[in-house]
Amino acid sequence: MSSYPDLHTLTGAYAVDALPEDERVLFEAHLAVCGACEQEVQELQATAARLGAISVAGPSAGLRGRILTEIDAVRQERPEPVVEAPVEKLAARRAVPRWVANGLGIAAALLLVAVGGLAAVVASLQGQVANLEVIAGTAEQTSAELGAVTERLADLERRTVDAPVLTSSAVTDVLAAPDVVTVSVTHDDLLGRVVASPTRGEAVFIAEGWEPAPHEHTYVLWLITPDGAVPAGLFDPDDQGRATRVMTGDVARATAVGITIEPEGGSPVPSDEPMMTLQLG
Amino acid sequence: MALEDRWLHPVAGPDEVRAPEQARDEEVLLLAVARGDQAAFAALYDRIGSLVHGIVRRVVRDPAQSEEVTQEVMVEVWRSAVRFDPDRGSARTWILTMAHRRAIDRVRSEQASRNRTQRVADQHYARDFDEVSERVEVSFEHEQVRTALSTLTDLQRQAVELAYYQGYTYREVAELLDTPLGTVKTRMRDGLIRLRDALGVA
Repeated sequence: MSSYPDLHTLTGAYAVDALPEDERVLFEAHLAVCGACEQEVQELQATAARLGAISVAGPSAGLRGRILTEIDAVRQERPEPVVEAPVEKLAARRAVPRWVANGLGIAAALLLVAVGGLAAVVASLQGQVANLEVIAGTAEQTSAELGAVTERLADLERRTVDAPVLTSSAVTDVLAAPDVVTVSVTHDDLLGRVVASPTRGEAVFIAEGWEPAPHEHTYVLWLITPDGAVPAGLFDPDDQGRATRVMTGDVARATAVGITIEPEGGSPVPSDEPMMTLQLG
Repeated sequence: MALEDRWLHPVAGPDEVRAPEQARDEEVLLLAVARGDQAAFAALYDRIGSLVHGIVRRVVRDPAQSEEVTQEVMVEVWRSAVRFDPDRGSARTWILTMAHRRAIDRVRSEQASRNRTQRVADQHYARDFDEVSERVEVSFEHEQVRTALSTLTDLQRQAVELAYYQGYTYREVAELLDTPLGTVKTRMRDGLIRLRDALGVA
């Protein structure tokens, strides 16, 4: 990905955890598609670990017992969870859920619209925006990229829900769009953020501070449209409680994004009221 | 100070000469943990718990909070061991990377960055760093890292140390060192690359 020279220089800051949250999420998106950076990050993280390994401190004697007791009750992640993409299952017509029909106001009291958050993201990416605009300006190329992204998403979604599934080109394309808006909601220490470009019909969802979904369940994103809730992808937070998803579907038609917990594989319609709603525009 | 009593002799020492064996042992243990082996987890804790706590203590500083974070890290090792991929690095790197990330998260959520910025502006940074260093038994590993750090330029070394040991973002580091953002990013990277080469990290 030689078209993003500035991102490459972030390997060092990333390896010592010196990136602010937003940039960390974006850089991890880049890592997912840049083999050279991934290789360098592995080496620099190993180097950073050597810096850490010179500090040796024995914790109190009781800690060992507390940890061993705790893990006895902690369920381990299972290898290679296989989850079908809900999008494919949900192609059929669906009823309008009550919470959609009700006018989407349910979580209004919890909404925190933080448009300023976008400014920080964009400012941090100033160096890359110039490059991106060159790419974004070429309609054919963008369209081809989006096609590839869609394919890749569908493929990845079939195979795993654990990895933050996204590509940096899709994420940064959205961020570089002239009409981009950011909506953030914080609820019980869960942060949900949607960065959307209505004219491009694209959006990225970013989660921070999320617990894993309950056993054999997954979080599902829904685009709330006049015709009902349309599935826009699923996500599972990583071990740091974070997730970044390029949302599927046409965000231009959506008035809000909702999140529900569904059984693995998804549901034909949202099975409950959304645990979080992000009003767009 | 009771605190100092807890700083134990390093697990490294002469054993570090047998680093490849040690790394293999840790990898075998972590892979066993991924299969749900609690005895392997206990053995892994005995090998690496004091390293995890060392890195956490260094970043978080507060003893009680450090123990909480160390516990979080080890439980996370247990929970997500299945994600460890030996092709992508050693077990030790995987665990210490997680430990550092958790410690940083704790520091950033606990302290307003302005306070920390002020602390360094008051020139406490160098003293804190040396105080901690002095408590740590000099080991083969420690000497190697110190020697490698000495090959860095001042700016490279400060940028890496402020970020890694103190938990500052590169933006804060830029402010503290009165250096442009781009320069700080670059110095962190080329400083780490120089360290990588000096330490012979594959």
